[in-house]
Amino acid sequence: MIDTLMLIDDENLFHLVFEDACSMLDIALSIESLDSSDEADKKFKSWFPDNGEDRPQCVFVDLNIIGSSYDGIEMIRKINEDYGNGCVIGIISSSSDQAEIEKAKKVGAQFWIIKSDDIEPRLEEFHKDYEGYVDKTNPFKVYR
Amino acid sequence: MISSKDTVKDALLKAKSKRVYIEGNFVKLLADTSDKNVREYLDECKRKDQENRKKRLAVTKQIQKQNKELEEAAVINKDLLSDLENKMEELEASKREAEGLRDEALNDLEVMQKKTQFELISIIVKLALGVIAGVGILTTVLYLYILSSGLDSKIIETTWSNLFGILLTNSFSIVGTIMGVKYATEKD
Repeated sequence: MIDTLMLIDDENLFHLVFEDACSMLDIALSIESLDSSDEADKKFKSWFPDNGEDRPQCVFVDLNIIGSSYDGIEMIRKINEDYGNGCVIGIISSSSDQAEIEKAKKVGAQFWIIKSDDIEPRLEEFHKDYEGYVDKTNPFKVYR
Repeated sequence: MISSKDTVKDALLKAKSKRVYIEGNFVKLLADTSDKNVREYLDECKRKDQENRKKRLAVTKQIQKQNKELEEAAVINKDLLSDLENKMEELEASKREAEGLRDEALNDLEVMQKKTQFELISIIVKLALGVIAGVGILTTVLYLYILSSGLDSKIIETTWSNLFGILLTNSFSIVGTIMGVKYATEKD
């Protein structure tokens, strides 16, 4: 089970869906949901470089975070390049735009989960692959 | 009540006796135990927690779906409203254009009516002038004939004099009218 997981998504209702689904599927023990990338940026800044142990083990970022200064791809780039990575990170979005997927891959996203009404099977599949993302042996994957 | 001096086991058993079930990820932190009572309680907590999560997830998904539908309906409504506004603007423009054409047509009709009236007046005036000039010429010719033939010219003298006066007066009046008509026609 993942000990600490962070979700960055502007849709508060999705926070509830995600938290309940993760809890039901025993995916994560502790989930922190943020509704803006600015808030996430502040947290990652405070954890870098000295408090790396406080950062979540896994981060799910929405592609379009309404009301934020950065979109999901820029957020991933910042975490990977400016704040030293140190976590499994990927996109969770209702979009399946190939151009955006390629952009995410370029900035170091490890996975792309497509949001839908039935999110649980995708989260379950991701959970099975999780260890491969931790040791960086799994290639980038899109969960459709 | 649970006291801070109670062991975890005591606390769990007290909670069990009161039918208070712990929930959330905290349950997952508690290790398996060989104690039958505690295990039964934790299993019940997990079962209830799963059940509640399932219910909440279903409700949240339902609300999320309804929200999406509402958002989509709002977008459709906005588009419809925008279309309606555009149509209204087009209708307003067509109305203005039609009113412009109507005013123009009315103006043209008025001009044509005036022109026709002036043309008619001109014909009447010209005809009247012709009649007066004809009568004048005829009377003058008759007067000259009587003078040259030596017949009694008393009546014709008075007639010619009166007629000439009338002729002059009417001629000026008619010429004035013609000038007026010409001026008005040219202006239109």
